Amino acid sequence: MNEQPRVLYWTMLSLIGLVIAVYILFPVFWLFLASFKTQAELAQLPINFWPQTPTLDAYAALFSDTHQKGQLLDWPRLIGNSFFIAVTSTIIVLIFGTFAGYAFARLQFPGRDLILGGLLISRMFQGAALLLPTYRLMSMIGLQDSLIGLVLLYSAFGLPFATWIIASSLREIPRELEESAMMDGASRLQSMVLVVLPLATPALITAAMWHFVGAWSEFAFASILLESNENKTVTIGLASFVELFTLEFQYVGAAATIVALPIMLVFFFGQRYFTRGLLAGAVKG
Amino acid sequence: MGSVALKDIRKSYGAVEVLHGIDLDIADGEFTVLVGPSGCGKSTLLRSIAGLETISGGDIILDDTKINTLQPKERDIAMVFQNYALYPHMTVAKNMGFSLRLSKVDKDEIDRKVRAAAEILDLTPLLDRYPRQLSGGQRQRVAMGRAIVRDPKVFLFDEPLSNLDAKLRVQMRSEIKELHQRLKTTTIYVTHDQIEAMTMADKIVVMRGGHVEQIGSPLELYENPASVFVAGFIGSPSMNFVRASAGADGIEYADGHWLGRPAAAIAPGRAVIAGFRPEDMRLADTGLPARVALVEPTGAETQLVLRTGQDSLVMTTRERVTQKPGDLVHVVVSEGKLHCFDADTERSLAPGAAPA
Repeated sequence: MNEQPRVLYWTMLSLIGLVIAVYILFPVFWLFLASFKTQAELAQLPINFWPQTPTLDAYAALFSDTHQKGQLLDWPRLIGNSFFIAVTSTIIVLIFGTFAGYAFARLQFPGRDLILGGLLISRMFQGAALLLPTYRLMSMIGLQDSLIGLVLLYSAFGLPFATWIIASSLREIPRELEESAMMDGASRLQSMVLVVLPLATPALITAAMWHFVGAWSEFAFASILLESNENKTVTIGLASFVELFTLEFQYVGAAATIVALPIMLVFFFGQRYFTRGLLAGAVKG
Repeated sequence: MGSVALKDIRKSYGAVEVLHGIDLDIADGEFTVLVGPSGCGKSTLLRSIAGLETISGGDIILDDTKINTLQPKERDIAMVFQNYALYPHMTVAKNMGFSLRLSKVDKDEIDRKVRAAAEILDLTPLLDRYPRQLSGGQRQRVAMGRAIVRDPKVFLFDEPLSNLDAKLRVQMRSEIKELHQRLKTTTIYVTHDQIEAMTMADKIVVMRGGHVEQIGSPLELYENPASVFVAGFIGSPSMNFVRASAGADGIEYADGHWLGRPAAAIAPGRAVIAGFRPEDMRLADTGLPARVALVEPTGAETQLVLRTGQDSLVMTTRERVTQKPGDLVHVVVSEGKLHCFDADTERSLAPGAAPA
């Protein structure tokens, strides 16, 4: 009887969703298509939506020495730097976040809730306000223009949130499981590694994804801290196109596609954990 | 071997003391049930024995060794938790073999022991399943299997049947009892269900408010309850209690009707609480007059709810009952079945009963 309104409802909802998706994805898709066009085609009017003669020239240019026009940055190097920073800081955040999260979830110590709350507050200060102080601090300790410096900085920025996600997910794991493991002869560390962490995998993956994506796409701090060309990251590389190629848009498209690829892969493979991890604690049962 | 002695166990959370000096001796192989209403400290006591709670005072002695400060893993005690606490990411076999893996037992040996335990508990076909694929009763058995593969000195059970439905509970009750008869491992079992306590225990420890109220075999507690609390807690339906006083020739109900003779002489005029079990009452031509309020046949027995004076009494009888609600009847308490308690301390006035 009320079948018809329901169908209508879901159709409307799907349509709205589709419109929003197209609206958001269209520029991305257009950029993606542009990476396969030639420069002549890009300059042509009226604009072609689909590439007439698809070509990988732009990608080849980014990855080859011979096609470098002097000003083009060393893209394999940029990608390597970004990977190094993102992967290393993700590992650091995961290790420290896991132990800290476990401590917040399971141990009693003075000021625990205050510190846990403080972790969240620290996230509110992120951004432009910290740029200059951070720059001065990093210069003072000699870590400006250093990949290690950026790894440490991103880890420091990422830890509070990762700790928080992991702590709230560990709280959901019944204490009896650990008590049972301890009765079975496990030390605290063993019960954590063998029983608790396998069950917290969604939260660990979420924290790792969240941090990896953030570190991979961070721009502001990288741009003020990294000076030499061999230390730069992909986001700085992308930004450099703004000055370099006002007309050669195919390079921008190709570089943007390459930069977006790891993020898309991360979400594609991790999304089922991602929602579970973020919702941990939101719903009982 | 696995004899347990508790000496003056105390446990405080901050300023609040929840165990007020518990003394208890459990012989090797004995099945001991700690029973009491929620909040009486029975689970805390069990967890203290397990080592999951630190005690604030007293000694826990296992086979002549003080284990107060030992880690749970060093105590050689296994525990079955109320919600089973099976590791969700491990198969039944892995769950059961977990403790052996931790103690680096040889793989073939683990496999052999797990299979042997699975055989006892009828779990062999389920060894490769995960806990989520099991029914409540099966999970319960896996939790027990995890305890028995270790062959510990003591088994602890923390309300293991409370998550099961009534029918399964009865079945698991006999399985646990059978398991105990087969393995003869010292067992300490916590429950709030007096029927579980009565049916399973060699020795029952009734606890209330962090104290031990009475220790004894099920029938000792049933026949010689040391206090109104124990008398009311053990047995179903519960014992009837009425305000009464000692007369020249026995105990008299408030309206002067004779109830019965106490086990030991009580000074005439003293106020007491008289208790008698529903099954120790019968209908007679003379005796305490009461009006029938409800007649509840359960098949083999019939339960009658009677009203007399201010009191409501429950009696059970195996005879066919012809009375109807509203009828006037007379009831008497069977000879020697009247329990008397001090009106103030609520302790038993029977000879040999422990003083308050």
